[in-house]
Amino acid sequence: MSDLGDKGFRQSQAFLHTWSGLLLGWVLFAVFAAGTIAYYREGLNRWMRPELARVEQPEKVLAGAQRFLEDKAPDAKSWFITMPGATAHGGTAFWVPQPKEGETRRRRRSDNQVTIGANGEPATVRETRGGEFFYRFHFDLYYMPVIYARWLVSIAALLMLVAILSGIVTHKKIFRDFFTLRRSKGQRSWLDGHNATAVLALPFHLMITYTGLVTLAVMLLPWATAVTFPKEGAFFEALYPEGPAVERTGRAAPLVDLTAIVRDAEAQLGGKAGYVEVVEPGDAAARVTVTRSGSTMLSSRTPHITYDGVTGKALRRSPETGAAVVTAGSMIGLHAGRYSSDWLRFLYFLCGVAGSVMVASGMVLWTVKRREKLPDPARPHFGFKLVERLNVAAIGGFPLGVAAMLWANRLLPVEMAGRAAWEVHCLFLAWGAALLLSVVRKPQPNWVALLGLTGVLLAALPVFNLFGTQRGLIASLWSGDMMMAGIDIALLMFGAAFLALARRVARHKPAAPRVRRRAAAPVQPVETAQMEPAE
Amino acid sequence: MTALAFILATLAFALFGLSTDEHHRKRLGNRPDAVTVLRMRGGAWAAVVAAFPFAIAAQGWVFGPILWVALLMLGAGLVFLALNLIPAPAGRK
Repeated sequence: MSDLGDKGFRQSQAFLHTWSGLLLGWVLFAVFAAGTIAYYREGLNRWMRPELARVEQPEKVLAGAQRFLEDKAPDAKSWFITMPGATAHGGTAFWVPQPKEGETRRRRRSDNQVTIGANGEPATVRETRGGEFFYRFHFDLYYMPVIYARWLVSIAALLMLVAILSGIVTHKKIFRDFFTLRRSKGQRSWLDGHNATAVLALPFHLMITYTGLVTLAVMLLPWATAVTFPKEGAFFEALYPEGPAVERTGRAAPLVDLTAIVRDAEAQLGGKAGYVEVVEPGDAAARVTVTRSGSTMLSSRTPHITYDGVTGKALRRSPETGAAVVTAGSMIGLHAGRYSSDWLRFLYFLCGVAGSVMVASGMVLWTVKRREKLPDPARPHFGFKLVERLNVAAIGGFPLGVAAMLWANRLLPVEMAGRAAWEVHCLFLAWGAALLLSVVRKPQPNWVALLGLTGVLLAALPVFNLFGTQRGLIASLWSGDMMMAGIDIALLMFGAAFLALARRVARHKPAAPRVRRRAAAPVQPVETAQMEPAE
Repeated sequence: MTALAFILATLAFALFGLSTDEHHRKRLGNRPDAVTVLRMRGGAWAAVVAAFPFAIAAQGWVFGPILWVALLMLGAGLVFLALNLIPAPAGRK
C-alpha cells in the first residue's frame, strides 16, 4: 500500500473510531458499568439483604424449601427451587398454581415466591431486586420495552466492536506506547489513560463485546433459525429439549426427598445443582428435574436429569448437545463468567472497570481534543456543548444513581409498597437530577459536585453498615464472610477514588487557552481587538 | 502451576516494558541498543509462550486458555502500574 493510501485508510479508521465511539457511548457506559457490577450479582443479592445469614448448608435450605412448598402449594402445577450456592443469599422457591379455566396464565411471580433463609425457614426480608437489577439493566435497560432495549444495547455493542477494531487499526502505536503513562500532561494523559485501559484489557474487551453480541445473536440475525425451524416454538424445543408433557393422574402420592435426588444428580452430572423443578408435586405422575449449575462449567447451557417424583428413579438425561449449542453456550458462559473462581471473577471485575474507564475517558477525550481547536473556548458550538454536558450527565450521573440506589436499599422503610421498584426509581431520580444539573450549570463545577457526592455516598455506605446492620465490615471479617467484606471494602475504595477524582477536577485550571495563546502568539492582538468594542 | 504461569506472564511484560526506550533509561540507566531490545522482546515472547502449558496444567484445556489470557492481562496490568507509579531510582530520570 502506498504511503498516501495507508494514511487515508488510517484516517478513515480514526474517523470511524471517533464517531462509532461517541454515538451511543453514553448508553455503552451505563451498560458496561452495570455489567461490571453484575459480576458480583450474587454478592449484591446478599449485600442488599443484610438481614439474611450466610448459607452454610445448602441441603438444609433445599429441605426447608420442600417443607414450605408442601405446606403452602401442595397441588401446584410446578415448583421451582433455586439451589443456594455458597455465594447466594438463600434459596428462592416459587410455584405455579394449576391453571384455572378462563384465567390468564401470566401472574406476577413475586406473589408466589418465597426466600428460604440459611436455617431452612422462610425468611422475612426487605423487598429488593438486589444485584439482579444490574444484570437485567445491562441488556434490558429500564422503563422501556425489552425488545427495543435489546436492540439499542446490541447496536451500542456493535458500535463498540467497530470502535475497538478501528481503534486498534488507527492507533497502531498503542502497542508501542503500551507502557507509557504521562501524568498531568492534559490531552496526552487522557490519551495514555484511554490507551492503557483499552490495551491492558484488550482480550477482555474484544471477548466481552463479541460474546455479548452472541448472547443476542438469535434476535439480531433471526433468519438462520427461521429457515431451519419454520414452526414457531420449534427452535426453543430444539434448544431446550423437554421430555413428554406430564399428565396429572389425580392419585395422590408423596414426593420423594429432594435432598437425596439432588445428591444423586450432582454425582451423575458431575457438578453442583443449579435449580430443581418439580412438576405435579404430590401426584403419582410427579417429575423432578435437576439442572447443573452454570457456576460449574464453561457452557451456560447446562445438562439436566429428570427423575420420577415418587420412586426417585432417574428417568432420562438431557441429550448430548450439538457443537453449535456448545459453542454458543461457551461464549455466553465466557461472557457472564458464572464459572469463574473468586480470583478470576475479581479479574473479570477489574477488566470491566478498565472497560468502563476506557469508554468514559474516550468520551471525555472527544471534548478535550476539540476544546483546544475551538474558535472561541468561552462559547463553544452546540455539538460540543451537547457532548460535554451529556458526558457529565451520563458518566457523572450513573455512578451517583448507583450510590443513591444502594442508599435507598438501606433507608427505604421495609413495609413500603413497591419498595423494590422504588429502589430502582431512586437510581433514575438521581441520574435525572444529574442530567438536569448538567443542563442548567456549567460542566466543570458539575463534575466536582457529582463525583464528590458519589464518593461521599459510596464511602459512607460501609460506615452505615457498621452501625445500621449486623453485617458491618468488622463482623464480616470476623466471621470470614469475604464476599460481604469485599463489597464493603470495594465501596470504600470506589468512594475514595471518586473523591480523589473530584479533588483533581476541582483543582484543575484549564491550561489549554494559555498554551494556545503562547503557541499562537500573533492571534493575540486580534483577540484583544475583538474584545475592545465590548469594553 | 498457576503461580508459575503468573510469574512467567509478569516476567514477560516486565521484559516488554523495560525494552522500551523510556523505561529502560529510567530503570536501567541507559538507552537500550537494538540487539538488547531484540533479546528482551524475544525473551518476553518466550515467557508468554512458556506460561501457556503451565496454565493448561493448572486448569485443563477448557479453563486453562482463559486462565492464560487472564494471567497475561494481570501481569501486564501490574507491570504497567509498577513501571509508571513506582518512582525511578534517583538520578536516572
